[in-house]
Amino acid sequence: MQYSQKVLDHFMKPHNVGEIKDADAVATEGSPACGDQVTVYLKINEETNVIEDIKFKSYGCASNIATGSMITDMAMGKTIDEALAITWRDAMEELDGLPPTKAHCSVLAADTLHEAIKNYQIAHGQRKVQDFSKDTIIDELKHVIYPQVGEDIVTLKMVKYVGFDDGVAIIDVEIPSFDKYRENVAEEIREHLEKYEQIKDLQINM
Amino acid sequence: MEEKRIYLDNCVTTKPDPQIFGVMQEYWENEYWYPANFFTAGEEINAKLDNFKALMGKTINAKADEIHFTRGGTSANNIAIKGLLMANSQKGSHIICSVVDYPDILTNYAFFEKSGFEVTYLKPDENGFVSADKLKEAIRPDTILFSTTWANHVVGTIQPVDEYTKVLQDADHKIFMHVDAGQAYGKFSMDMDKVGIDTMSVSAHKIHGPQGVGFLYKRTKTPLAQVVHGVNRVDNLETGGINIGSLAGFAKAVEITFADLDMTTKKLRELSDYLLDRIMKEIPDVELNGAPGQGRACHNINVSIDYIEGEAMGMMLDLQGITAATGSACASQGLKPSYVLMAMGKNHMQSHGSMKFTVSKFTTKEELDITIDKLKDIVVELRRRSPLYQEKTN
Repeated sequence: MQYSQKVLDHFMKPHNVGEIKDADAVATEGSPACGDQVTVYLKINEETNVIEDIKFKSYGCASNIATGSMITDMAMGKTIDEALAITWRDAMEELDGLPPTKAHCSVLAADTLHEAIKNYQIAHGQRKVQDFSKDTIIDELKHVIYPQVGEDIVTLKMVKYVGFDDGVAIIDVEIPSFDKYRENVAEEIREHLEKYEQIKDLQINM
Repeated sequence: MEEKRIYLDNCVTTKPDPQIFGVMQEYWENEYWYPANFFTAGEEINAKLDNFKALMGKTINAKADEIHFTRGGTSANNIAIKGLLMANSQKGSHIICSVVDYPDILTNYAFFEKSGFEVTYLKPDENGFVSADKLKEAIRPDTILFSTTWANHVVGTIQPVDEYTKVLQDADHKIFMHVDAGQAYGKFSMDMDKVGIDTMSVSAHKIHGPQGVGFLYKRTKTPLAQVVHGVNRVDNLETGGINIGSLAGFAKAVEITFADLDMTTKKLRELSDYLLDRIMKEIPDVELNGAPGQGRACHNINVSIDYIEGEAMGMMLDLQGITAATGSACASQGLKPSYVLMAMGKNHMQSHGSMKFTVSKFTTKEELDITIDKLKDIVVELRRRSPLYQEKTN
């Protein structure tokens, strides 16, 4: 059994599952094609910026559901700035770790939470919509996990080059041709970048 | 110690029949000799091994000397494919299999593809059938080998080996046929006189025999190059030492399975039909993967359960004492969805949400009732958590 008892507990009896009908912010990340999708709903006190209620729904594996449960627990009662500071590593640590191949589940849960908060901030004039640039791509790549070790491909220095010009994004990733996670990493990169309409052509070189 | 586990992953391995242990023990304790000529002990083992071969040969209407013991199904597949290609490479360099074949075939083919062979990978239809017409279209003057998985390891679809035989016999040159029968042997009757199979792999532990032994059927005149070199104890195809106890256990398992094959397979069919019938009636938004009815191996049920993911389903079943398999990427080593289901045209959600239940003669109807009752609750609970199901109901 590769899952910690905490993961199993949160998987079997997850907290905060459901929807908030009159939510102040909602975000959905992931896709059925990738096998995992999470939606986070937030109820935020407009004066204090405190998250007063949080719910999530998950289409995904055991660790996906467990991280959804854990991160919503962690964010409940926090201000949105405090919740933005919760990283996927924090969630993973709180769960007493995840198998390396499942670290991306933790990333997805954290990304969805952060996205919901950013949606709220933009709607309430607390955040400007960021201009798209090469840095946006690099930030996204920091959320792509190499399943062999459960760490992101930027930290692992697997990303050798990122270019963006005239709608064409070029990403060079160092990964051996025999690596069993090669396709998975490419798929994860596409998944993270497909939401940006600024990217007309995505070229991943491995 | 947990309560008795309900084991529904019999496609991977089966529970050894308790009747094999006594036989194996006898050999390990008292008749542990290696075969040899002239000496009493060795000759005795020679005779025993010949009896085992005769018994196994009879189950597929083959001669005793066409049965070669191996260290399991994968070993038999390697000896056959590598041996056939190495012995016949001067006749051509084109080989055919299908994209839904067992990994033993696909990885061997990939190996030869890298070495310069050209491979045509046939595509299945939506039920996993690979038609003989497609094989016919793929044949070239330099084709030397066609390999197939008789009963598919994921969806149980039984390939039309008799039709392949006709196509290959009608070709204007000899094309060898290798068959992986891991999921097929002991699930329906086979007659090597009626099909043009040159080599066929069989694994003991899929029919309640011990793990680590199997046999390779090789038609007498089919030339195979030797690929496992070493001391020749029994056979020059699988050289080296033998596991006499396990071979004896294998023979016993074969004897039991084929004592009344019709009755055994009828029971498996009834169990899997019952399982499928209850799932289809009692769980909405489910579809069968693979061929319906007699087109699938009698022990296999593979279904896609919409809006939820298979690793979570499998994990919940597992935590409640039930072992089953899933085609979800999240449960696979390379985080990829089932290549078989994807090749059959299923979408990602159907593959991620697929569950495979394979029964054995030790499976009981009560176990299936417990499994379905728990599965129903699991599906309701996971759908309650799923944003995809919410989208559907709104």
